[in-house]
Amino acid sequence: MKADQHTAEVCSGAEILLRSLVAEKVDVLFGYPGGAIMPVYDALYDYADRLNHILVRHEQGAIHAAQGYARASGRVGVALATSGPGATNLVTGLADALIDSTPVVCITGQVFAHLLGTDAFQEIDVVNTTIPVTKWNIQVTEAKDIAPAVAKAFYIARTGRPGPVLIDITKNAQNEKIEFSEYVPCTNIRTYRPKPELSLTQIKAAAELINQSNRPYILAGQGILLSGASDLLVAFSGKTGIPVACTLLGLSGFPVTHPNYAGFLGMHGNYAANININECDVLIAIGMRFDDRVTGNVNKFARQAKVIHIDIDKAEINKNIRADIAVHADAAEALTELMGLCETRNHRSWMESFARLNDVEQQRVSIHSFLREGELTMAEVIDELASQADPLTIITTDVGQHQMVTSRYYPYRTPRTLITSGGAGTMGFALPAAIGAKLGMPDRQVIAVIGDGGFQMTMQEMGVIMQYGIPVKVLVLNNSFLGMVRQWQQLFHDKRYSFTEMSNPDFVAIAGAYGIAAAKLERRENLKEAISALLNSSSSYFLEVRVGKEENVFPMIPAGAGVSDMLLEAPRTEYPESVNR
Amino acid sequence: MIKQDLFMHLSADNNFSVLNRIINILNRRRVRIRTLAAQEHPDDFRKGSVSMVIHTTTEMADKVKLQLEKLIEVDQVTYQVQPVSEPAEKEKIIYSL
Ligand SMILES: Cc1ncc(C[n+]2csc(CCOP(=O)(O)OP(=O)(O)O)c2C)c(N)n1
Repeated sequence: MKADQHTAEVCSGAEILLRSLVAEKVDVLFGYPGGAIMPVYDALYDYADRLNHILVRHEQGAIHAAQGYARASGRVGVALATSGPGATNLVTGLADALIDSTPVVCITGQVFAHLLGTDAFQEIDVVNTTIPVTKWNIQVTEAKDIAPAVAKAFYIARTGRPGPVLIDITKNAQNEKIEFSEYVPCTNIRTYRPKPELSLTQIKAAAELINQSNRPYILAGQGILLSGASDLLVAFSGKTGIPVACTLLGLSGFPVTHPNYAGFLGMHGNYAANININECDVLIAIGMRFDDRVTGNVNKFARQAKVIHIDIDKAEINKNIRADIAVHADAAEALTELMGLCETRNHRSWMESFARLNDVEQQRVSIHSFLREGELTMAEVIDELASQADPLTIITTDVGQHQMVTSRYYPYRTPRTLITSGGAGTMGFALPAAIGAKLGMPDRQVIAVIGDGGFQMTMQEMGVIMQYGIPVKVLVLNNSFLGMVRQWQQLFHDKRYSFTEMSNPDFVAIAGAYGIAAAKLERRENLKEAISALLNSSSSYFLEVRVGKEENVFPMIPAGAGVSDMLLEAPRTEYPESVNR
Repeated sequence: MIKQDLFMHLSADNNFSVLNRIINILNRRRVRIRTLAAQEHPDDFRKGSVSMVIHTTTEMADKVKLQLEKLIEVDQVTYQVQPVSEPAEKEKIIYSL
């Protein structure tokens, strides 16, 4: 790949940075300027035709938008910030992107190299601050190192298990003028092997186990989406008759409408999906990391089963759950090989056990959310959204009860249609992530589902929607509580609602102040129309729905309990000591 | 599983942050570092190695080894049960590397 000019040209470090981004096919940047990144902003002035810079309202908004962009489109998201507080405002998003395997590249300005370590104005040791929350980071102090750093950053961010990378560039390096001719993309790093070699011995052993199994069970994680293996998984499950359950981040990797779809795993997932973990004989975990929100108490997790763990990240294998057969591989490659070796089967009676447990969940849990009397429930709202939204709609969620309800009741049918903060559980994620998703996939409908608490963490990003006319739809489910925390207080802390009730502002007026069409829904009879207005608006739209204040999300695996201990309703007795409050 | 002294050796690229990255992983896992020596490669300053005695279980060492190998700059990590019991002897071994 060549730079804009094939012959050498004298350029500033800032311009080399922008040329490198263009060479990496970056089209959108989310950023916020400041002293230490001003040379880059100055250069950006001349790049407006090639790089669409979106001025966010807080750097956390920039990185979440970059994450939303990356997760919706599969491309690398880019965020830009100044030194010191600008850079530290990225930290939450970096941690979120690392745990949720999201390819983003952050570029931060830094003080002049000669001031490093002197406690200069807005000097923060960003590299050391972000080591634990990045896949890789680097400080660049000379212009000549900028293009190679960008090349390495993009290569690292997008390959292997994707993740966030940060490049910290001192101001002198941005200003420095050098000859620059060619951007050379990175294709290899001596000490980094992102593509594991598939072991056919392990694949054969896995296939043998699967062929002998009577109750095999696939747990699909985000690795399916990241490796583009959704169709393969559908084909594999179709051939082998194996039920497939999805982790929170795996949702949309396997269509919920497929007859072999077994449900959503985890603390507030589906009853059958969780209970049958302790009934299967072979557990096939693909591109998932046995997060504690999925396993509950590991000592009570799938003890009876042989475990096959397929993951591209070797450090995930045997980290939380011991694998009988470890396949260190890309999910798509492993599934392709397994496909040829696994027999055509059906596991009718095993599948029926899921159906029976689904009935239990329907009768004991879901039915209560759809009584359609009293206060509106979150489930009703999501169900209405599901019935009107097209299957390509991208949903972003924030964190809390509404997130779990949206994961439970929205029928994800198309890959990459759920963008949620899983591993970090970052409130404030949904709104900026939706902005990024919309810019990454402009032809898709994008809806942010948010609680009243989380909305107030990043609601300033409504300014971005206003300024750039981004037609994102916002659905706030307002229960006037930090709902998920209140639920825990009710269940595990004797209903002592310690600082979780919220007096909220007039959200509709706030949306109005940003020039966004807005409505508030309080009555069930207007639900259909309200959702229709949200979906059919050609510009951005804000809908606040008043939902029950003290609604709980069930089923639930209490923290510290095993997957078999999943509760269908609030117990009338005290919790045993084994439950971690 | 009992904790014991384990002799861990890492080969890596030599840059400003690599040592911090390595220590971070051990700290996060609360693995005790009894001794640590880092050195540039005598013939190529762009490469380096770290030798440590860590006090942990082999189960934890297995996990930490993979997490260390995941670091972009780290090439390879090996560990073995430290056969020498005298601390002074251990140090001699490390520094003679
Ligand atoms: C940044 C951040 N702070 C605190 C929490 C802890 N937390 C998890 S869920 C939750 C409540 C969320 O309330 P709200 O946004 O209103 O959503 P609801 O649960 O009511 O749907 C809180 C405070 C978090 N996940 N993230």
